[in-house]
Amino acid sequence: MTSDPNRFPRRDFIRAAAALGVGGAVWKAAAPAGGATVWQIDPEKCVQCGQCATHCVLNPSAVKCVHSYEICGYCDLCGGYLQPGAKDRDTGAENELCPVSAIKRTYIEDPFFQYTIDEDLCVGCGKCVKGCALFGNGSLYLQVKQDLCVHCNECAIARACPADAFRRIPAEQGYLLKTRRQGGPAQE
Amino acid sequence: MKDSRASRIAAAGAVLACVVVAGAALRQWLAYDPARTLSVSLPGRDGRPADASSAGLATDLSGTFQQFGGVPAGLPGAWPRFRGPDFDNISKQDAPLAAGWDDDGPEVLWSVELGEGHAAPAVLNGRVYVIDYDEAARADAVRCFSLADGAEIWRHSYPVNIKRNHGMSRTIPAVTDDFVVTIGPRCHVVCLDAKTGAFRWGLSLQDEYGTVEPLWYAGQCPLIENGRAILAPCGPDALLVAVDCATGEVAWQTPNPKGWNMSHSSIMPMTFGGVRMYVYCAIGGVAGVAADGMPDAGRILWEAPWDANVVAPSPVALGKGRIFLTAGYGNGSLMLELHESGGAFSAGVVFDRTPKEWLACEQQTPVYVDGLLHAIMPKDAGALRGQFACYDPDGDLVWASGPASRFGLGPFLVADGKFFVLSDDGVLTIIERSRERYIQLGQAQILDGQDAWGPIAVAGSRMLLRDSKRMVCIDAGTSQEERRTR
Repeated sequence: MTSDPNRFPRRDFIRAAAALGVGGAVWKAAAPAGGATVWQIDPEKCVQCGQCATHCVLNPSAVKCVHSYEICGYCDLCGGYLQPGAKDRDTGAENELCPVSAIKRTYIEDPFFQYTIDEDLCVGCGKCVKGCALFGNGSLYLQVKQDLCVHCNECAIARACPADAFRRIPAEQGYLLKTRRQGGPAQE
Repeated sequence: MKDSRASRIAAAGAVLACVVVAGAALRQWLAYDPARTLSVSLPGRDGRPADASSAGLATDLSGTFQQFGGVPAGLPGAWPRFRGPDFDNISKQDAPLAAGWDDDGPEVLWSVELGEGHAAPAVLNGRVYVIDYDEAARADAVRCFSLADGAEIWRHSYPVNIKRNHGMSRTIPAVTDDFVVTIGPRCHVVCLDAKTGAFRWGLSLQDEYGTVEPLWYAGQCPLIENGRAILAPCGPDALLVAVDCATGEVAWQTPNPKGWNMSHSSIMPMTFGGVRMYVYCAIGGVAGVAADGMPDAGRILWEAPWDANVVAPSPVALGKGRIFLTAGYGNGSLMLELHESGGAFSAGVVFDRTPKEWLACEQQTPVYVDGLLHAIMPKDAGALRGQFACYDPDGDLVWASGPASRFGLGPFLVADGKFFVLSDDGVLTIIERSRERYIQLGQAQILDGQDAWGPIAVAGSRMLLRDSKRMVCIDAGTSQEERRTR
């Protein structure tokens, strides 16, 4: 019986596997604890360019408008809901800024109106966010919805974002939510 | 033979089946409505009641009077109304003011807590007048303080229900030696004795004239000329009215043929072609009305449409018949030019530009000085947003404060030849009156609160400023520099 010179001896294989296992365990133990991270939009950097709606691998996008009620002024004339120069302040399509009617406007009491986002309709275009930033308190802003995102880690929107507003954050944090301090007072 | 017949029957059956399936598919395709899950956005789906804004307006404006221990100051200086004595926001008082401060900033002489809002003071005869809102008492309160120490002298209050809506108070009284006139957030006008605070008369513009209350409450500041309060109720039948301060009787009334509504803008007097007129920018358009004292007082001399849906700044007269109008919320600016022929006036549009093309301002009225327009640019002005900018009247940018110096929606004026600009967060900046570039002379944190939007008042070397909840009086004079040099 002759031995094959190209054959990897079983004993050497076991030794290499054991060394690899021990080395891996040592490396894992020595490496700094780093949890999983996810993509998120920094609302302070977002420029509402509209690319979140068109560059996500999902259709509609996993980016949605979210609303900070503590920052909102509950205005009748809402820059996030109404077209600039809207003829009337009501729910007519000709006055709505949102192209898919994803914002619902509800009278609360004089003179306040509440605005809620229908996530199923929102396409993440950011038109309302821009309007709210220009003429309101900035209570509307965009976020990657983690329950919708496929976490492909090669975020197509992050590559396209012109404002470098996409960044990785700890998965347990999930969102970069605006607070009253960041977004300004609840009553402008 | 039998097989051939059977196969023909099978073929016919197959064709028939195909026809039936195709027909069913075609029917399904034709019947499919891709928009079946969509709903139509129609007006009226927000649940707004028809009479929401008129609730809780009826009130007794004679109200209640309180006397306090404050004493009027024997100090010089006056700022008797919105935009000062000459309606230009330029103080011509001769008190020298500081050109900079050390790290401690100017001395705060006194400070008074106010209800949340943006109402700013008028100053005359050592008294400081503010129309405040007392949230605990749920009442508008015309308050008179001593310019010397901020001690309250008297207060006239009347009940009115106001909810916090981007602040509550927001106007400046007009005061003469005899009268003080105020417009409250819900369009209640009150005339009081300027010295004693005694009630003269009151008027609800919504009740009397059918005024539509502006969004975020009334921002119009009243005007007193020839002992008459000049007001712009903008009701269906009254664009402007003049009310005798002594009697409360209406002296004249201007019709409102176009049905314009009240804006936050205030009436600005100007003279053109030898005719003194009141210029008022309503929601719907701008008009010139023959001023009180003219033979045809109250007559509309000219008008021009402007479709701005919110107008806070007041018209700025540039001379030679030119009038500059600006508004936020994307409305931009308009330059009008008046023409006169045989006693008839007309107004033509010289420029109509967006905030990215030209000077605009969302909340404060621009200052025209040295032949140049100055204002804080609005949030929709692109790279210039929030910057203090200087434009020539032909539309060219002269200078701007730069991206490191933004001021938000704060007030500004000229005093002792310098600009004083207050930012949203209470930082007061002194800027040189330059024709070439932005030159910052000094800066100090004056107020700790937020939304310092109430216009600045100057009386001698004292400067009154406020944020959303506090009014302060600072020594803006040169005493700090003198102390330092000593």
